[in-house]
Amino acid sequence: MSLSSARSASGTASRVRAGRMDSHQFGDRLLLGLVILLAILWTVPLVWVLGLSFKPNDVLMHSTGGILSAPFTLKNYADILASSNVFTWILNSIIVSGGQTVLTLVVCSLAGYGFARTEFPFKGVIFALVLAGLAVPEQAIVIPLFKMFADINLHNTYAALILPRLAVPFGVFLMTQYFRAVPREIEEAALLDNASRLKIFLVVVLPLSIPAQATLGIYTFLASWNDYLWPLISASKPEMFTLTVGLASTQMNFAQSEGIGFLMAQAIFAGLPILILYLFFQRHIVTAVAGTTVR
Amino acid sequence: MGRIELVGVTKRFGTAEVIPELSLEIEPGEFAVLLGPSGCGKSTLLRMMAGLEALTAGEIHIGGRRVDGLPPGQRGVAMVFQSYALYPHMSVADNLAFGLRNIGMAKEEIATRTREAARILEIEHLLERKPMQLSGGQRQRVAIGRAIVKEPQAFLFDEPLSNLDAALRARTRVEIARLHQRMGSTMIFVTHDQVEAMTMATRIVVLNKGRIEQIGSPLEIYRRPATRFVAGFIGTPGMNFLPVDMAEGAGGHAEVVLPGGTRLATGIPSRNLPSNAGSLTLGVRPEAVRVNPDGPVKAEVEFVEHLGDRTHLHVALPGGAQLVVEDAGESVVRAGEHIALTADGARLHLFDAADRAYSAA
Ligand SMILES: Nc1ncnc2c1ncn2[C@@H]1O[C@H](COP(=O)(O)OP(=O)(O)OP(=O)(O)O)[C@@H](O)[C@H]1O
Ligand SMILES: [Mg+2]
Repeated sequence: MSLSSARSASGTASRVRAGRMDSHQFGDRLLLGLVILLAILWTVPLVWVLGLSFKPNDVLMHSTGGILSAPFTLKNYADILASSNVFTWILNSIIVSGGQTVLTLVVCSLAGYGFARTEFPFKGVIFALVLAGLAVPEQAIVIPLFKMFADINLHNTYAALILPRLAVPFGVFLMTQYFRAVPREIEEAALLDNASRLKIFLVVVLPLSIPAQATLGIYTFLASWNDYLWPLISASKPEMFTLTVGLASTQMNFAQSEGIGFLMAQAIFAGLPILILYLFFQRHIVTAVAGTTVR
Repeated sequence: MGRIELVGVTKRFGTAEVIPELSLEIEPGEFAVLLGPSGCGKSTLLRMMAGLEALTAGEIHIGGRRVDGLPPGQRGVAMVFQSYALYPHMSVADNLAFGLRNIGMAKEEIATRTREAARILEIEHLLERKPMQLSGGQRQRVAIGRAIVKEPQAFLFDEPLSNLDAALRARTRVEIARLHQRMGSTMIFVTHDQVEAMTMATRIVVLNKGRIEQIGSPLEIYRRPATRFVAGFIGTPGMNFLPVDMAEGAGGHAEVVLPGGTRLATGIPSRNLPSNAGSLTLGVRPEAVRVNPDGPVKAEVEFVEHLGDRTHLHVALPGGAQLVVEDAGESVVRAGEHIALTADGARLHLFDAADRAYSAA
């Protein structure tokens, strides 16, 4: 998938610079070759994981080579599904990641628009404070955060899993910059068109920020889905585990030697929803990673 | 069709005074052009009328209503921006209808107005497109259409032609002027391009550093500029300015002595001039001077510009002063030649030390 988009990108480039076609075609081929090579390098471990996940654990205890030869088994996946909580965990992950994504977009958009377009006292100082948040590592605040949520008795709730992650300095910064780049005259035209401030935000400005929303939304969702530390700390009841924490909890003590196939199946299983998401939003993810622009 | 009245309008950004107290009346149906160099406050003035910029002091009345406290949407004006400012994610039809929907207008009425505006501007076939899919000229029309559908008391244009290429600019100029004739609405048009001002305006307001230098019809402004600033701003190539001395004139008209010592009769009544007029500046447009073998003014041609329909001669007078003179298109004058010139006395201007202008009656 990343392959085809790389090819079309370089194809556009070569069309733009028509003219010395031959040398550019050669350059394109070289680039393509390089991309294919890198893609293979990236794919090999994944394919290996996939292969291992279909092998019986006792075979793997002796050797982890020969992933392409029999015997194969679906037992590892069956074991995952047999763990009665796995669908609860998936649901929890969907609720937490989805909730975090939606709320992050709401909060960051509102905050970004506020910083970009309204005047209020101490705006500069407050914005600087928000940006200072970029420099605070998550691990540094885990303990106070844990205590805070313990004090208000929120652990083992969705709120506890979602709320701490809504403070996203990067998201606020991204949206602020994006809204600043929206031409002021468009909003002024809307003012003359009798639109209220809220209407201008919702109907004129917000639709223009969809590329930025997609970027932020995708990053947030991925980060939230893969998050491990905070759910591990906050959720102590198995029915409140997210998928990452839940799967980890099913691992036996000697999984590295006795349950490699099961371990690999878990990895594939946990990554599956993200893969599906990627298939649906491939185009947006590529733009999100490649950077966004207004207009 | 509203009358617009500015009373003592003042604008300061922080400590910088951009518009010192300014008063102005624009009659219903007028096409008023605010003309002035970049940074003189034209946009600021327009944006204050639109409600996009707050007044530091003063009042604005539109159609007999005081509006300077009202939000932009309630002032009965429509504005066309230099960048067009169309809503990029809305179709042309939605761009036109947005403002009407916001005031809760009935669907049929919106449809009628949108269709009518699209017809006038010949953009009916573009209604379903997004602004991205339009050329600059088409976007411009949509921007004007968005103003037309509102049937406002007054149209405000902020340099709407500056993003168009020369040919399209000339055509759109005519179209906007025609639109004005046809709709008879009050229009205020901001530009720093004197050709736009001359061709479209019924009245030109020349601004300089936030002050009104002169208000008048295009021909008045051209024939009888009130100040040296106005005289120099209107016309291409610009008016020539020469330092001159006063001489005794005959028949009550002023006579001046050019730097080289040549005497030149003007049509300016002597009694209009200040009595102690020591140092004056003579203003003469290139088109008010003719090459004439019997002319009193001798000059040496330094450079010739052939424009086809006319020719510009850059000449030096005996005293060293430079002058641009217009000659016929098929001029045979060459660089290095010595020629003689006459000036039309009725089309000469004198400026005093305070840059006030004196022209023939
Ligand atoms: N928001 C602002 N804050 C501070 N100064 C401003 C602001 N807007 C305009 N100015 C200043 O006011 C003066 C007039 O600006 P304005 O935009 O009205 O000029 P203009 O006549 O429209 O020029 P142009 O032909 O270049 O558009 C300029 O000196 C400008 O720097
Ligand atoms: Mg301007």
